[in-house]
Amino acid sequence: MTSLRERYGYMLWMREFELACLEGVPTREIHGELHLGIGQEGIAAAMAGVLRADDALVSSHRNHLHAIAKGVDMRAMMAEIFERETGLCGGFGGHMHLFDPSLRFSATGIVGASLPVAVGHAHAARLRGTDTVAVAVVGDGAVNTGGFHESMNMAGVMRLPVVVVVENNEWAISVPFEAASATETVAERAPAWGAHGVRVDGNDVEAVAEAFASAVDRARRGGGPSIIEATCYRFRGHFEGDADQYRSETEKAERRAMDPLAITRDRLLAEGLATEAELAEQEHGVAAAVAAMLADVRNDPLPDASTARQHVFVEADA
Amino acid sequence: MSRNLNISQCVAEALRLEMERDPSVLVIGEDVGHQGGVFGATRGLQKAFGKDRVLDTPISETAITGMGVGLAMEGFRPVLEVMFVDFIGVCLDQVYNAIAKNHYMTGGRVRMPIVIKTAGGCIGSGAQHSQCLWGLFAHLPGLKVVAPSNPYDTKGLMASAIESDDPVVFIEHKGLLLARAEDFSFGGDVPADRYTVPIGEATVIRPGEDVTVATLSGTVLPAFTAAEQLGQQGISAEVIDLRSVVPLDVVTVATSVAKTGKLLVVDEDYLSFGLSAELITRVMEHGVDLKHFARHAVPDVPIPGAVSLEQAVVPNADSIGAAIRELAGRT
Repeated sequence: MTSLRERYGYMLWMREFELACLEGVPTREIHGELHLGIGQEGIAAAMAGVLRADDALVSSHRNHLHAIAKGVDMRAMMAEIFERETGLCGGFGGHMHLFDPSLRFSATGIVGASLPVAVGHAHAARLRGTDTVAVAVVGDGAVNTGGFHESMNMAGVMRLPVVVVVENNEWAISVPFEAASATETVAERAPAWGAHGVRVDGNDVEAVAEAFASAVDRARRGGGPSIIEATCYRFRGHFEGDADQYRSETEKAERRAMDPLAITRDRLLAEGLATEAELAEQEHGVAAAVAAMLADVRNDPLPDASTARQHVFVEADA
Repeated sequence: MSRNLNISQCVAEALRLEMERDPSVLVIGEDVGHQGGVFGATRGLQKAFGKDRVLDTPISETAITGMGVGLAMEGFRPVLEVMFVDFIGVCLDQVYNAIAKNHYMTGGRVRMPIVIKTAGGCIGSGAQHSQCLWGLFAHLPGLKVVAPSNPYDTKGLMASAIESDDPVVFIEHKGLLLARAEDFSFGGDVPADRYTVPIGEATVIRPGEDVTVATLSGTVLPAFTAAEQLGQQGISAEVIDLRSVVPLDVVTVATSVAKTGKLLVVDEDYLSFGLSAELITRVMEHGVDLKHFARHAVPDVPIPGAVSLEQAVVPNADSIGAAIRELAGRT
């Protein structure tokens, strides 16, 4: 099992990575919508080290942290997000469409669309007789889509090795979960699909890791699908540029003070797993590495305009 | 010598041959397994290849199409059945936002060798069970669209669709699925071996001099019948079976129009914003001398229930004959 110190390292990389992406917004280097996971690092960091390279992970529009957890190359990710030719998808996808087929990682910008794809990965494991699992990450908004229900039911009736991680940050853009959901929690719905449901504090990386590892293990052993509902808070708006006035300033201040990085850092110190000096050095190291990565990526060219009509079809004549 | 197969048997035969030669091909859909398909187009496959490879699902088209995406990313070649093309609405997202786009969005790194197998066409069941919708799919970048009209092309195009590394929407015509080889004076001879029909190539099924009639799917046979009748009255119509909507074979049609100067597009799909306008425009863009043209399609109306209303709006041999005659008469 990945150590708490290692998980803290993941969280640092995730936080610094997101902050680096943020720099691309005012400069219009990222000229479309950007959905950052700042504040939700506890959940993604919990998945790191549990998943194998051959497990599948399908994420959402807010996908950077999960890609990092899966081991996707960060420089290639950053280049894709910054719309460069050297990006993960050659600049053809953009931030919501990060794919790394070698690690079975993909993302989709359509809410809820990650789960059916994960079910496909899981059926592939069944066809091949392997013990790989498929993880879908969704938000609290996705759980009310028809596709979520169809996919959970399919996974349940077929007893497929699917683990659904619901990052419940309580807000689907401006609509609070309590106004959108007929049930108080997502986890309690799981038995309706023959799945195991558990709700955990997403800021407690160890609690999430334990629940996640347990669900993955259950899936590998043929125990069927699980839903892990991890509560968290989106520190920033739904997208960069969101005025975010639907959440009160009081709420935002209170919840931002419950930072999963700070919580984990305090725990490392309290349990003697690291010294202040070690953590400071680690933090500076990650910040410097990400800054260097960003500077480097910014030198990469954008894809050539003459290539814009390539890749519509594999077979060239369209 | 010739086997009197019906078109659904041709589909099943093509699927069996592909599944025998390529273990990554599988079929997913409702009633496709144990039942062998509501039209029998997947008969015998589950028995031959097992329940995981020929999968009966709940009524969950979004899950089915999304599973296809995940399976394709795992190296499989899924044939996903959407029973009636009219049902595409419930799952169009995975089709046009993922299946159609993943190859592009990944700069060519991911392939979606998926066949969406679906049945369209008018069979008297009213507005929600009678549509063709190839115009809808053709409008969305990243999907190839084929609609065979006869047994030979059906089997060959299904093989090509599965073999293709691109997503292909394979639109059967419900009214043709039980039509037998003996009903066809073209494309009725179906070899038992595997063969392919190229995607993106139209074919001239009846040569002529006066008018080019371009059509596909269920209106090819009536167009051929109408052309034969008019032929005895001195009107020589060249009938082209488009076979594919994407890619659209403009060259074959333009070559014909260069000879006739007149183009009639017969389309069982809706008139506006679809195949007929697209084909005529592309023929003009191609630069041939198109003197006169006409479109005979469903006039932007839902397909009616009563047969008297249906026959007023869905192209048939008589209405096609009238359209050819009218165009032939223009000077």
